[in-house]
Amino acid sequence: MEFDKDSLLKLGKLSKIKIDENKLSSLSSDLGSILKFIDRLQSIETDNVDPTSNSLDQSLVMRDDIALDENSAAEILENAPEKELDFFSVPKVIE
Amino acid sequence: MKAGLNLIEASELLANNETSSVELTKFYLDNINKGEELNCYNTVSSEEALKAAESSDKRRKEEKSKSRFDGIPIGIKDLFCTKNIKTTASSKILSSFVPTYESTASQNCINAGLISLGKLNCDEFAMGSTNKTSYFGSVINPWKSKNSEANLVPGGSSGGSAAAVAADLCIASLGTDTGGSIRQPASFTGTVGLKPTYGRVSRWGIVAFASSLDQAGPITKTVEDSAALFEIISGHDSKDSTSSIKQKENFYDNLNSSVKGMKIGVPKEFKSDNLSASTQKAWDDCKKLLQENGAELIDISLPHTMDALPTYYIIAPAEASSNLARYDGVKYGIRENGKNLIEMYEETRSIGFGDEVKRRILIGTYVLSSGYYDAYYIKAQKVRSLIKSDFNEAFKRVDAILTPSTPSTAFEIKNEPKDPVQTYLNDIFTVPVNLAGIPAISVPFANDENNLPIGLQLITNSFEEQKLLNIAKNVQDTINYAPNLDKWWIK
Repeated sequence: MEFDKDSLLKLGKLSKIKIDENKLSSLSSDLGSILKFIDRLQSIETDNVDPTSNSLDQSLVMRDDIALDENSAAEILENAPEKELDFFSVPKVIE
Repeated sequence: MKAGLNLIEASELLANNETSSVELTKFYLDNINKGEELNCYNTVSSEEALKAAESSDKRRKEEKSKSRFDGIPIGIKDLFCTKNIKTTASSKILSSFVPTYESTASQNCINAGLISLGKLNCDEFAMGSTNKTSYFGSVINPWKSKNSEANLVPGGSSGGSAAAVAADLCIASLGTDTGGSIRQPASFTGTVGLKPTYGRVSRWGIVAFASSLDQAGPITKTVEDSAALFEIISGHDSKDSTSSIKQKENFYDNLNSSVKGMKIGVPKEFKSDNLSASTQKAWDDCKKLLQENGAELIDISLPHTMDALPTYYIIAPAEASSNLARYDGVKYGIRENGKNLIEMYEETRSIGFGDEVKRRILIGTYVLSSGYYDAYYIKAQKVRSLIKSDFNEAFKRVDAILTPSTPSTAFEIKNEPKDPVQTYLNDIFTVPVNLAGIPAISVPFANDENNLPIGLQLITNSFEEQKLLNIAKNVQDTINYAPNLDKWWIK
């Protein structure tokens, strides 16, 4: 099984990962091999089986609703590659 | 200083004033320096470690030690966020990230007075079984095959955590295990690796890979150390909504190595043609040993064992593709410029992620995309239910399950197969445990004909880590495995 070029490029767009032309062929065969491997599940009978999303037998724990003074703007912005005033800064977006 | 000290021995030396935390810390920093070639650490925090050691010695003098392990140096996988200390997940995209907060698991270590020597190398975002996907290069296994100089993989993803403990570059370490990332490297390096029940150790502040599978745990030299360090890092954390509300237990004090009357299950599906002869022999010898020590062996079946790996390679990449969406060049990490916002995202992620991480994001995006979601993702979640129910059935009949940890021992770094699926097969025995959310431990049992360590895996039902550690201790105490590792890197 192989991914054709167009579906691979579409997948790259959905994943926001630029795929280099020279990597297309090896990526196509790698992903094809993985897809073939995971396709083995299709033969398993699961009609009356509920899906498991989490193995813990416990409902999610909620915290008490108490206001905490943490995560200041300065701390949050500390690792931002680009910032202006108290904001993350990104390339101009014009539609 | 005696080489190869374990956590318990070090705590006794400190209690008897036969050493100090500063002396211990200096000794391990020196070992790290001598072992640089092994590439175990991404970051060594010498200054911070020595400062913390001085404070620990002061506390001890004033009889204000935080725990009996106060002052003992450990290493931390570079996946745990550590305040003011670089945390990279061994990825280029996070190569400059310095967290402003501390993960709960590493904070629990600080609260017990443990000293962090630095951050241990791992596969990029914990995706891999060889440590070769690290942006900072492969970790080298301190073990070498008899009659060969070739470098071997330490396993992964917690390869640095396992290799550092084996090579005595720290007394113990923290790792994480999503599909075998603690147990497989422990098996490849002759160390003890524990993956706790999902929910036992808080995931807060650990760089997320696959959130329904990720679990942190200790890699140590002995089962006693494993119990002690597990006790330190476990417990409910209100910051993690999947953290178990069960009370913290005294795993170390309650160790009891008797296996008399216990029922040990041996699953027939783990007998595979891919199993090396020496691993098969170790497995057989361990069955005999447990029987001689009073346990009863019971043949069991886990019919969906072979479906676990394909299930894992749908669920883990799906969750990863969602978790790794946060790396967009805006909030943290590197940014690569583009003509507009979308191009900036695409360039940043293309340059910032390595090949294996990209493969998993792409596959994850594929199985979650419209038209494939039910066929892959929901299907895998249903098979996950079947895998979990296999274990539930088995634990109605047995106390624990015994299997090999890995099909083979450590292999050469340059021999990794080109097809990624072949590499995935390393985790064939460990992955079912993560899908079921239950605890398991890898214990070194013997060396193979090339003098490389073989690990065996014990598995129990959810929250039965005490039983798991007790059986592991029985095995450890009976065989008395002595690593006998040649420190070839010290010239």
